[in-house]
Amino acid sequence: MNKKALAQFIIVTIAVVVLSLLYFFFPATTSTIYPKCIFHSLTGLDCPGCGSQRAASALLHGKLLEALDYNILFVLLLPFILYSAFVFSWNVFSSKKIGQNIFYSVGFVRTILCLVLVFWIVRNIPVRPFSWLKA
Amino acid sequence: MEQQTFQQTPPPSSPPKNWLVESILVTIFCCLPFGIAGIVFASQVNSKWAVNDYAGALQASKDAAKWTKIGFFVGITVIVLYCIAVFALGFGGLWWTSRSLQQ
Repeated sequence: MNKKALAQFIIVTIAVVVLSLLYFFFPATTSTIYPKCIFHSLTGLDCPGCGSQRAASALLHGKLLEALDYNILFVLLLPFILYSAFVFSWNVFSSKKIGQNIFYSVGFVRTILCLVLVFWIVRNIPVRPFSWLKA
Repeated sequence: MEQQTFQQTPPPSSPPKNWLVESILVTIFCCLPFGIAGIVFASQVNSKWAVNDYAGALQASKDAAKWTKIGFFVGITVIVLYCIAVFALGFGGLWWTSRSLQQ
């Protein structure tokens, strides 16, 4: 077993559990203890990540629609992040390694890049239906 | 010349780490320009790999790692500074309130 990968696995698992508990018991939707986005504080505009803390809190409480309203990109990308986490964990403990093939296809990475940039612009257009994407 | 000697060496079997997921996480959790730079380099890792530019792919992988890590540590630093500021203000406020109550 790869020691470095195991250490990473343990650190990430602890971080995820601690953060989940934090966002569950102190939801970012009501609590003011969380840091605000620097970009948003400086410009008043939303960045592609704005609303993701609130979306994570809403998801932890099972409120999918609310989460989509805060940051649809975060919710859409979450399955890929979980898939990646699964592959990583699998490779830590199993001798049969599996590759993260979709993350290494040129089309997929370009799609993500375009999605992030388009989302960044579109959610700041103050007209419906674009303003629905606002955090 | 360098290019030719490089292409004669047998190519590695899999592309270098492209840091895509890490840079997405950095982008989503708000350390933005760095995360987006990470995604740009992640896309270069794959496109250069696809045209057998192994050295280029490796370089793009290193750049992706660099920007993702910069984004991550800038993000962590901002969060830590924010927490320190909040605690300092919190205690300052408490001190101020208790002082004005005494007067």
